[in-house]
Amino acid sequence: MHFFRLIRWIAWKDLLSEYRNRENVSSMFFFALNVILIFSFSFSLDPDTIKEIMPGIIWVAFGFTAIIGLGKSFLIEVNNDCMEYFQTLPGPKGAIYLGKFLGNFLFMLMVEIILFPLFVLFFNLSILDQALPLLLVSSVATFGLSALGTLFSALTVQIRAREVMFPILLLPLSVPIFIGAVEATRGALSGDPFSMYSHWIELLTVFDVIFVVVSFWIFEFILDY
Amino acid sequence: MTATRFIGILRKYEKWFGIVALILISAGLYTGLVTSSADYFQGEVVRIMYVHVPFAQTAMLAYSTLFFCSIWYLWKRDAIVDNACHAAAGLALFFTAGGLITGAIWGKPTWNAWWVWDPRLTSFAIMFLTLVGYLMLRTFLDDVEKRATFAAILAIIGFIDLPIIHFSVEWWRSLHQPLSVSTRGVSIAPDMLVPFALMSFGVGILFTYMLMVRTQLLYLEHLLEAKQGRFLSEAEL
Repeated sequence: MHFFRLIRWIAWKDLLSEYRNRENVSSMFFFALNVILIFSFSFSLDPDTIKEIMPGIIWVAFGFTAIIGLGKSFLIEVNNDCMEYFQTLPGPKGAIYLGKFLGNFLFMLMVEIILFPLFVLFFNLSILDQALPLLLVSSVATFGLSALGTLFSALTVQIRAREVMFPILLLPLSVPIFIGAVEATRGALSGDPFSMYSHWIELLTVFDVIFVVVSFWIFEFILDY
Repeated sequence: MTATRFIGILRKYEKWFGIVALILISAGLYTGLVTSSADYFQGEVVRIMYVHVPFAQTAMLAYSTLFFCSIWYLWKRDAIVDNACHAAAGLALFFTAGGLITGAIWGKPTWNAWWVWDPRLTSFAIMFLTLVGYLMLRTFLDDVEKRATFAAILAIIGFIDLPIIHFSVEWWRSLHQPLSVSTRGVSIAPDMLVPFALMSFGVGILFTYMLMVRTQLLYLEHLLEAKQGRFLSEAEL
């Protein structure tokens, strides 16, 4: 099967099944909503403090959401006995990874785009002027998180205690994403000129490129078992 | 090369590594703790550095060994290489923990804090967590080949991520003193350099010795497991 067509079909399959049962996106969304609620109780929310801690709250919520959503990415394939079909699929195995990754990236981005207005609502933020830079930061950071998360989802889905192992493996290695995303979001929310935080976006882009390439190459070894 | 031949080579040379490590570390500790002078700024506290720095360097050496052995395993699929990976990971965790603990003991009188979020410290803490994750992953997998392959994949990903983690934390904040020995030259008094060099080589060779012994031990465990499995399946029949 043609490489790009395979990627498109796998991503399309995930999006379509999600559209039909809305399991993943809704659980990610309501989980993030709970995290936001807990944060609003945990900190004193005067305007100065909000500015300081908001980027952290946003990315902790997104990070937890990623754990919920990405961790289940390959579980559906195992539950439906589809891993064997992936293993015997005539075509490059890396394309399966890219298809799953694309689906996960779009899910995550969708949830983040729905969540941003809620942050505005609950924490009284004004982000309209900064909507484009924030979208860019979210996209670049979510790209890297989905790249690593999809790979670890495939790796942990076949082992015992997968719910525990997925965050234990994912979180330490995604530290650069969280640092870059929090710092760039802080810059965007404070209304700083783009050049003052663009180096964080460059760092996130480097991370994205490296991990998509490495995961694409290494995925075949995971699927062999 | 067969595993038996490889084990034979390890058995033949391991004691020499052990003896050289013992001599170098004894000489390093003597020159570091007794004959070398105290630092002008840091005083006697500087002596912890003769243990801390070699531990940190050896942790990096152990992690690099784990990375190269993991690539080797994915390439050749030799069971004994997986045993070497497992041994290197355990030792990397030991030296990383040692580096972090001695660093904290040195940090308290020098920076007036046990822990600071400095790039090298944070990178080491993340490396520690990755290694714990690596060893946990191994315990949760029963299939020998699957365990070896997944562990190798994790080690490779972790090693590639390490410079990016270090770089990102360095941009985030920086407090550590500059490297004393770098490609730009040596910025350290000669009577301090001798114990540093002795300890660095000594601990590095000690790691090699420990790796040789531990790889053999894990290989024997692996053989025992395989034999027990065979006996059990025969008993069931």
